[in-house]
Amino acid sequence: MSATTQAVAQYQADQAKPILTSFKGIINGAHWLFGVAFITLMYVAVRIYEQVFAWTKGLDSFSMEFQTYWMSLFYAEVAVGAIAAFGIWGYLWKTRDRHLDQLEPMEEIRRHFKLLVWLACYTYAVYWAARYFAEQDGAWHQTVIRDSDFTPSHIILFYLSFPVYIILGIGSWLYARTRLPQFAEGISLPHTIAVVGPFLILPNVGLNEWGHTFWFMEELFSAPLHWGFVTLSWTGLALGGLMLQLMYRLIQLTNFEAEDITNEPMPHHHNMVD
Amino acid sequence: MRTVAPGVDSYAEAYRVHRAFDYILVFIFITLLTGIHHLHAMLSVGDWTFWTDWKDRRWWLFVIPLSSLVFPVVGQYILWQHCRVPFGATLMVVCLLLGQWIDRVNNFAGWVYYPLNFVWPGTLLPSAIILDLVLMFTNSYVLTAVLGAWSWGILFYPSQWYMLGAFHLPVDYHGVLMSIADVQGFEYIRTGTPEYIRIIEKGTLRTFGQDVTPVSAFFCAFACILVYFVFNQFAKLVASVKFIKGRI
Repeated sequence: MSATTQAVAQYQADQAKPILTSFKGIINGAHWLFGVAFITLMYVAVRIYEQVFAWTKGLDSFSMEFQTYWMSLFYAEVAVGAIAAFGIWGYLWKTRDRHLDQLEPMEEIRRHFKLLVWLACYTYAVYWAARYFAEQDGAWHQTVIRDSDFTPSHIILFYLSFPVYIILGIGSWLYARTRLPQFAEGISLPHTIAVVGPFLILPNVGLNEWGHTFWFMEELFSAPLHWGFVTLSWTGLALGGLMLQLMYRLIQLTNFEAEDITNEPMPHHHNMVD
Repeated sequence: MRTVAPGVDSYAEAYRVHRAFDYILVFIFITLLTGIHHLHAMLSVGDWTFWTDWKDRRWWLFVIPLSSLVFPVVGQYILWQHCRVPFGATLMVVCLLLGQWIDRVNNFAGWVYYPLNFVWPGTLLPSAIILDLVLMFTNSYVLTAVLGAWSWGILFYPSQWYMLGAFHLPVDYHGVLMSIADVQGFEYIRTGTPEYIRIIEKGTLRTFGQDVTPVSAFFCAFACILVYFVFNQFAKLVASVKFIKGRI
């Protein structure tokens, strides 16, 4: 009885504290803001470049100005993308935590939020690639007949916006694998699906372009040749499962009334009538 | 199995952690769902959402609700099953609409210069609200599939009518009776125009006269029930919280 009274008193005391004053020490808002701002500025610059040079220099892939203004951009994207990918992934692996068994719980909470910042940047990059530049590609090819696989919209969509989200997605996976105990002990099924599936959209470009060498598929944007992208887009939904994994672990780590915490089985609801 | 002490020692600290998680979760869900739901929609049934003249009375009101049900079913499952949040389908549709409108304004109108009243997307919001309400009140996926998904399909066409009606007004165009939507289509020749001629307004259903629209909507509603059941099972896979033991 007295324990209950004590717990209620503690709860009321906690309630009286100013609780929404700051998230400092939990989540690094500067990292989140930097990632979103960097991606936004890069893509706004790219969009302006398209507006200026797509109609004036991007209609004839056999022309010299196409080589100068568009193919040069393509080669630069491939080079910078490769360097960024191996640099970031290599850094994450090289600086991995070799003593995860000694990780403090509060630090584990902070690392969960660093992973969430990685994922926020990943989904924001997916947002630009899958939503903005993909439909823009449809608008372009419904209007301009292609004479190359490397059209202005493809050079941005396939070789810039896809690599950017792939780098961030695999980066998030490596971060979790090298810095969070649960993810180091076992491979997260939903996280793996949510990263590998959207990654496979880039290899699927091979099928797409191969098909386009046979016929003008832009006559029907919803043609079966494009359904590989559709199916792979479903895998992004696995981030829902990953969010549940993170949510349940954070609930465990913030259960301040518990004596100690283990990797308990995830809770599951059984009260549906299905 | 590792055992540790809790990471916080008060309700206030736990509350801060949970709120921080909520805020970043909202950002992640909205950006992700806007992206992948839009990709799914544009590449499975995009032509019918892009152009007014493709918004026909046979294919449009069949393929759009059918394809667009995939993500709301999964959204409902994840948010309702695990969090008891009752607006999964509506969230999915709002994200899709957000993506479609940004792109139509920015790219279809802003880059390749089609008029906006030719490239507006339809809406699935009324259907989504009904779908969410059915799940919330019945708490049953079976009933939601039968009643909710059926309503999702049947409500699609009436939901569009206030936007589409004006484009179906008849026009005498060089002696040929056409709709305003048709005139728009012939004014703006696209690479999709040959498929428009092959697909839109063809087939024996023309002989049914005015019955085509309700027949298509009724068939779509039935097909939506099946789609709901299939993707409800798919949702269980993507909402998995499994860790696989071992190495890659």
